[in-house]
Amino acid sequence: MNELEILTLTPLFAGLLLLLIYEVVPSSTKKQATDLIKYANMGIAILLFGLATQIGLEHDWLSTWSSGSFGAQGSYLLESDYTSLISSIGVNWHVGIDALSYPMIWLTTLLIPISMLVQWDADKGAQFHSLILLMEGALLGVFAVLDLFMFYVYWELTLVPMFFLILVWGGEDRRYAAMKFFIYTFAASILMLIGILIVYFHSAPVAGISGSLTHHHFDIPLLMQQSSLISSAGLRTVVFLLMLIGFATKMPSVPVHTWLPDAHVQAPTAGSMLLAGVMLKMGAYGFLRVAVSLFPQETITMIPLLVFLGMASLFYGAWVCLGQTNLKRMVAYSSVSHMGLIFLGIATMQPLGIAGALFMMFAHGIISPLLFAVCGAFKHHYHTLEIGSMRGLAHHSPFMAGHMMLGWMASLGLPLMAGFVAEVAIMIAFWMTFGWWVLIPALTLILTAAYYLWSMQRTIFESGDPHHGILPDTMHGDEPRDVTWHENAGMFILGGLAILFGILPALFFDMMSNWSTGLVSEVIIDALTALGVTP
Amino acid sequence: MNIESPLIAHPLLVESLRPEVTIIMGILLLIIVPNLGNATVRIPMTQFRIPVFLGGERFRATSDPLIPGVISMFTLLLAMASSLMTFVEGAALSTVCISANGAIQQGCTGSDYILRSDAFSRIFTSIFNFALLVGTAAMINRMPARVDAKAPHPDSSDTIRARAIRVLLNNRRQGDFHLLILFVALGMSIVALSTNLFLLFVGLELASLAIYVLVAFMKEETTSGEAATKYFLTGSVASAVTLYGMSLLYIWSGSASDYASATLNLTGPEGLAATWAAMETLEPLAAIGFGMLLVGFGFKVSAVPFHFAAPDAYSGTSSPMASILATASKAMGFAALLRVLVVMAGPEFGSAAFWLPLLGLLSVVTMTWGNLAALSTENPKRMLAYSSVAHAGYLLAALAALGSGLASESTNEVLITAVVFHLLVLAFFKSGAFLVLTMTEIRDDSSSMESLYGLGRRDPIIAVAMFVFMLALAGVPPLSGFLSKFLVIDGIISASTGSGSLTAAGVIDWLNSVHWIFWLAISMALNSALSLFYYLRIGQVMFFEKSKSILPLPEAPMIRITVILCLILTIISGLGPFSQTLVDMATMAAQHLLKV
Repeated sequence: MNELEILTLTPLFAGLLLLLIYEVVPSSTKKQATDLIKYANMGIAILLFGLATQIGLEHDWLSTWSSGSFGAQGSYLLESDYTSLISSIGVNWHVGIDALSYPMIWLTTLLIPISMLVQWDADKGAQFHSLILLMEGALLGVFAVLDLFMFYVYWELTLVPMFFLILVWGGEDRRYAAMKFFIYTFAASILMLIGILIVYFHSAPVAGISGSLTHHHFDIPLLMQQSSLISSAGLRTVVFLLMLIGFATKMPSVPVHTWLPDAHVQAPTAGSMLLAGVMLKMGAYGFLRVAVSLFPQETITMIPLLVFLGMASLFYGAWVCLGQTNLKRMVAYSSVSHMGLIFLGIATMQPLGIAGALFMMFAHGIISPLLFAVCGAFKHHYHTLEIGSMRGLAHHSPFMAGHMMLGWMASLGLPLMAGFVAEVAIMIAFWMTFGWWVLIPALTLILTAAYYLWSMQRTIFESGDPHHGILPDTMHGDEPRDVTWHENAGMFILGGLAILFGILPALFFDMMSNWSTGLVSEVIIDALTALGVTP
Repeated sequence: MNIESPLIAHPLLVESLRPEVTIIMGILLLIIVPNLGNATVRIPMTQFRIPVFLGGERFRATSDPLIPGVISMFTLLLAMASSLMTFVEGAALSTVCISANGAIQQGCTGSDYILRSDAFSRIFTSIFNFALLVGTAAMINRMPARVDAKAPHPDSSDTIRARAIRVLLNNRRQGDFHLLILFVALGMSIVALSTNLFLLFVGLELASLAIYVLVAFMKEETTSGEAATKYFLTGSVASAVTLYGMSLLYIWSGSASDYASATLNLTGPEGLAATWAAMETLEPLAAIGFGMLLVGFGFKVSAVPFHFAAPDAYSGTSSPMASILATASKAMGFAALLRVLVVMAGPEFGSAAFWLPLLGLLSVVTMTWGNLAALSTENPKRMLAYSSVAHAGYLLAALAALGSGLASESTNEVLITAVVFHLLVLAFFKSGAFLVLTMTEIRDDSSSMESLYGLGRRDPIIAVAMFVFMLALAGVPPLSGFLSKFLVIDGIISASTGSGSLTAAGVIDWLNSVHWIFWLAISMALNSALSLFYYLRIGQVMFFEKSKSILPLPEAPMIRITVILCLILTIISGLGPFSQTLVDMATMAAQHLLKV
């Protein structure tokens, strides 16, 4: 067991155990048990964050990490041995991290305690917090495993806690949202599974790792080492597209994004934070880890499609935001819009663009939880999410207004904040590859500024009467309160980090450019040469 | 080592047939123990009375209505354990054959034996005994025996009297039920053991006749009789056709003028397998006889178009019996089918068996029909019956790939392993699903989807277990249902892609060059996706719909324990060392089957 395996497996087992403990304690002690289990969950989550940070510190933030050829066996940090899980078909437990997965792992371990903190007083707290810990286990599994089968298993496993978080703790329309979320992403990942299986059937036998009955394996590093994975170009394209559908749905990209707004609006605050902060990144992560790494040639030939999807998501998401009256729905669509930038960054096929896309994943993972925490607090204290039904927030809830302003500014790409770095990197790389086409995404960012400023203006200010503001009807005349201390603490941490990574992006940007340079120089250049293009 | 000695006296006999001997002992105990009493016989001409202990006033301790259940469960448990011992002991030691003349032989080298105890037969006897054990455990709560039952007071109200009579009736029929279960176990074991068609038929009928009675067993329930009648009528026609097919094969195996060499033995120098292999062109008598066998076995595995009785039988009978039909009875059909298809009429490498198109068509029609019908039913028991039909289709696809003759020895092994493994794990999750239905059935009825409404709130643990069973049935990784389906698909693909042109540039070219059995794998994948809808629907009604009943589920401790056991087995048989052990066992069975 190395540190990474401990990090990956602890939350899963601890979460299950705590859920079970709560089920079996006698009902007279449920109240005390709830508190204990909540603290236990929080304690474990914080310890895991410490462990993840420690892994980074020990290895110089992975900025100079390299070992072996890119993506191949032995090139991963803390790479575990192969432990056979289903040896008849060649499923192995094989984990490892590199600069692609480390930021995501760190982000996950960071967001879990924060989302617990923000919704510290949730109903049925014991189950709620245990489910979040389970969620952490599933998410870390997705980012840590290097076996396609286990990747798929963890990928589907993330649906289960999220499904229950939405179903039990969600808003009024939660059933519809939970079902839509589950069926939508499940159906898409079945297409991805078919792609994975086709890859599997083309893997070459490797002694000790391939299945004893089938002589194939699922291991990503070995698949990357295998020359000419699938010889038929047509089949490669089919596999790439199948995987693209699976990953784009999770991301989500237009036109397969429609599950997201419903899921977000109905999900509890912590659920939304994790959904936007980490679950959406699974799509981009999987796309880079599997589709781009294994099929670089197809990625290159599909660049027009990627650019189109990215542009469409970016523009359509922003356009829809302009017309939204629901605060949370607007933030959800802004996620769609930002995720479009990731496709654009990857499509540049430049180290800078890919690193920018990675940093976008990371920055959005810090900023969007802040936005959803604000939305959640708004809903919690004002019982509504309508933009404009509440005006003069700055007067009644100064802290909430402050966090909102910070979050909105970070998200629209204010310089010196995390989002700005990513956007600038992607834009520069885009210009280097596609020239003046960069004007389209650049101008779309004006729309982003427009909808954020507009919603802020109508919520925080515009009270007319500087001493009272306009309170929504749903308050029923109650005095508005500001955020609770735990919400405030969570938002302060997230806001602080958004600024920190805007000022010191190098903390993570270095390892990301390290990875993307490796990808481009060792995978993409070869693919370009194979396609007969001189880079 | 060939030991020729009188059969009965031979120590190997008991040793090799331990499970069957256990069952026979269990049957004897079940007949004797409840009948122990103080009866005496007067010696003629004297006044002396000798106690004979059978009959008369029954002893209180041995006539306890709980006793038959305990006996049958212990018998099945022992039989299962001794079946599993084969795998502990290792292959060479445990392969024992018995021929018609009483010769018993360890290692089975080339003689024309009629019973063969090897890994293949033993894995099937383990499946049968396990599935019957689960069904029996469920029945112990479904049809509880009460020690304190009393005749109702004549003045009491009708409902109280009816209830008291019901309790008495349940006590009364404990012995009958468990005796029949043990007969089913014995008949099924004979099917798994026999390499002689006639003996196979005897076992098949012994099991079937007992099952017909068991389907009708809860006779006070209106649907039981109807279900049993339908099942019996179709089943007996199928049996008759099978028997006729066997007689045709018997005639065919002898030479035209002289029946001295006619035989129903599968193996041996003059056995059906040898005659079949020697046949140059397909002879009509052989084809017709073989086809008729398929009808009978097709009925047992509920393949379309012989499946029509299955949904009615499953939904009409009690859920524990439905679980036995869906697991043990189906496994029996496949055991017989595998013996006949692989041992007798298996293809030569490189040339397809004549039954390939037939089986390929049957498998696609079966899986599609089963899934479409399951989609449109509102009765969970019927849904599970149709899902059973669909699963039969998947397994038939594996057999079709086997018949293509394209598969190498190792691929054949994978395909048979997949079939055996599927039947093995089916006994975990299919039984588990029917057990959950049994729980709803005890107080309510389980023949409408509404009985599952809100189960997630009424009993979260049972509901989660049911959901896992559904996911396993649907084949969601990493549960065991996935692994078995995956092995079938893998077998089909490795059999067929060898035929495809590796240099084909485009997908279309490649698909044109590949053998058509490749499409069986695609059809399986599509059907699995289709089946998700109705399996997930169970989850949906359990967690989303409002319950019609506010009563908690019955205590039913035996069922609860068994459901949890099935749940654990379902999970650990998909991933990790236990799953590997099961796959290894199935592989050993496949090797033994192919070696015959």
